[in-house]
Amino acid sequence: MSNESKPHRGTIHVESAKILSHERFPGDQFVLRVAAPECAAKALPGSFVHLRTDPMLRMRRPLSIMRVSATEGWVDMLYKVVGEGTRLLSARQEGETLSMMGPIGKPFVAHPERPRALLLGGGVGIPPMVFLAEHLRRTGGFDPLVLMGSEVPFPFRARPSEIIVPGVPDGVIAAMPLMEDWNIASRLASLQGYPGVFEGYITDLARAWLKALSEEQRTQVEIFACGPHPMLAATAMLAREFSLPCQVSLEEFMACAVGGCAGCVVEVQEDNGPAMRRVCVDGPVFDASRVFV
Amino acid sequence: MNADDRDLLHVEFCGMPFDSPIVLLSGCVGFGEEYTRVAGFSNSEVGAICLKGTTGENRLGNQPHRVYETPGGMLNSIGLQNPGARYVVDNILPKLDFSETRFIANVSGSTVEEYVEVTRIFDDSNIDAIELNISCPNVKEGGAAFGNDPDMSARVVAAVRAATRKPLITKLSPNQTDIAENARRCIESGTDGFAVINTLMGMAIDIEQRAPILGNNQGGLSGPAIKPVALLKTHQVHQVARKHGIPIIGQGGVTNANDALEFIIAGASAVGVGTALFYDPLVCESINSGIADYLRRHQLSSIAQLVGTLELNSAISACDVCVE
Ligand SMILES: Cc1cc2nc3c(=O)[nH]c(=O)nc-3n(C[C@H](O)[C@H](O)[C@H](O)COP(=O)(O)OP(=O)(O)OC[C@H]3O[C@@H](n4cnc5c(N)ncnc54)[C@H](O)[C@@H]3O)c2cc1C
Ligand SMILES: Cc1cc2nc3c(=O)[nH]c(=O)nc-3n(C[C@H](O)[C@H](O)[C@H](O)COP(=O)(O)O)c2cc1C
Ligand code: FES
Repeated sequence: MSNESKPHRGTIHVESAKILSHERFPGDQFVLRVAAPECAAKALPGSFVHLRTDPMLRMRRPLSIMRVSATEGWVDMLYKVVGEGTRLLSARQEGETLSMMGPIGKPFVAHPERPRALLLGGGVGIPPMVFLAEHLRRTGGFDPLVLMGSEVPFPFRARPSEIIVPGVPDGVIAAMPLMEDWNIASRLASLQGYPGVFEGYITDLARAWLKALSEEQRTQVEIFACGPHPMLAATAMLAREFSLPCQVSLEEFMACAVGGCAGCVVEVQEDNGPAMRRVCVDGPVFDASRVFV
Repeated sequence: MNADDRDLLHVEFCGMPFDSPIVLLSGCVGFGEEYTRVAGFSNSEVGAICLKGTTGENRLGNQPHRVYETPGGMLNSIGLQNPGARYVVDNILPKLDFSETRFIANVSGSTVEEYVEVTRIFDDSNIDAIELNISCPNVKEGGAAFGNDPDMSARVVAAVRAATRKPLITKLSPNQTDIAENARRCIESGTDGFAVINTLMGMAIDIEQRAPILGNNQGGLSGPAIKPVALLKTHQVHQVARKHGIPIIGQGGVTNANDALEFIIAGASAVGVGTALFYDPLVCESINSGIADYLRRHQLSSIAQLVGTLELNSAISACDVCVE
């Protein structure tokens, strides 16, 4: 039997990834850049890596990919310290290496017939949205809006936007600088009262934008989301309210991250009833209407 | 694997030729193809692969969370999620490449009848052997309930033995009082081999929620933390099994060649690797070469020469290993 009949084979690389930079942001957030050329060459928006955070801690931790450069061979991740693994990772220094597996998982898939891609990233759900935005920009023909929510300071210095976004309340002007550089519309939401940031839920900001669109414009919208579970549930409801297709990226505890252990499942409604699907290889991206019913 | 290592690493297990003593363990490698996603990983590096525990009907398994790291190991409570034996035989086995390695079905059930039914379905397939899982700690009925009671174990083994001519490997639970006695009864009932051990039962607690972390409250502990227990159990079963020429797949916490060698010396003819794959998916290569190096260093020409060569200290007699 040839490998042609087994296209899954050899798609995940194990690399000894050298830390190129490791930057700390308020709220125990870190941006990590590692050299991992195989992963960088094959990653797609929604792909994640599974990494050994420290030689002392043997089980790996999954982290989404935020950006890659296939030509320079690096991979960026954004993570927040929440426990032992991420704490140990945060102590790792530039020049050290991490064992990293990737890229893993089914990516987000945007559709040209729906060029108004609405990207929602909450907290450490921001990274895949950055990747998707960059990907859509490269692909061309898309006019995405990126909304990000966080209850700790954003892991970047927000900048007043020069791009007009319909439906957004007056004064909500803070944007992610990277998006501005890419000429992609973005806005921020938080309950913490940060200047220029929408005070409320990211889904309320999204609803305001959707309402400001014409019926015809709305038929061109597709929603992509990653973030905490309640945010994804609210996003799925929003998608239903406006009859829009919606893809969400999910998280669950993992062991193997290659589909071997069935440890990372979520319940999904399929045509013939409920099924348990693996977040690592059947996801992490799922059709929201199958997960939140 | 280079040709020299291949000669050294060859083992015969229940009449099956294995290219390596490594057996990938049930529940850690899905239905045989999952790890081939990893570049550099090859099924032909291992002697055999045990497929996920399979039952008569499909099972959705337990609620998440299902896996959790603990010191030196991990807990799992998958709950035997599988698509049912018929589906496995009709849709999964045809896609496996049997030229790369041996594939072993892991048969599970809630009743003796179900074990027999599943075994019959696999007997009528190209699967290489049957591993009888009478030790799964993660389902309410069946599994460990059979494995912890020597009478029940003997009944299941006898019934399944009558349903298949393929090699029959009985997987024993560490969660029982006298594993050697259970092994003896399984041999009487016709088992061809043993897998020793399955996971130990355990729990992890979220102190903020004051609730168990696993959806199923409890789960099976695997990984390096259980290796000392697994070694002793392998040794104990070997004391009984060797008299009948019955081989053992020793398992529990193997992460490197030295661990594997310990199991072989304790009495295992083949060595299981499960949790270690989660740490390092390419670990088999180094285990193979480490074992081959050891054999060369000790001027042994086969693994068989090393199996059960443990020399006990005189203070302890072979079949009476004291607890205190
Ligand atoms: C596909 C995927 C992508 C992710 N992307 C990111 C990201 O880009 N940035 C980021 O900060 N975090 C991300 N996470 C969550 C991240 O994996 C966890 O925060 C991390 O595993 C916590 O490990 P810990 O040891 O610090 O925490 P602990 O709470 O001590 O972890 C204990 C165990 O639970 C697991 N665990 C705890 N929380 C989670 C969780 N939310 N998801 C999965 N496993 C968990 C850990 O892996 C570990 O095995 C992602 C998770 C998944 C599944
Ligand atoms: C996630 C997971 C799932 C498992 N599922 C099964 C199973 O379906 N049937 C079975 O007999 N053993 C199952 N086991 C037990 C393993 O096959 C093995 O006996 C045990 O994990 C000890 O080996 P290890 O420490 O190398 O992992 C499972 C173990 C793990 C970690
Ligand atoms: S983590 Fe093992 S199947 Fe997903």
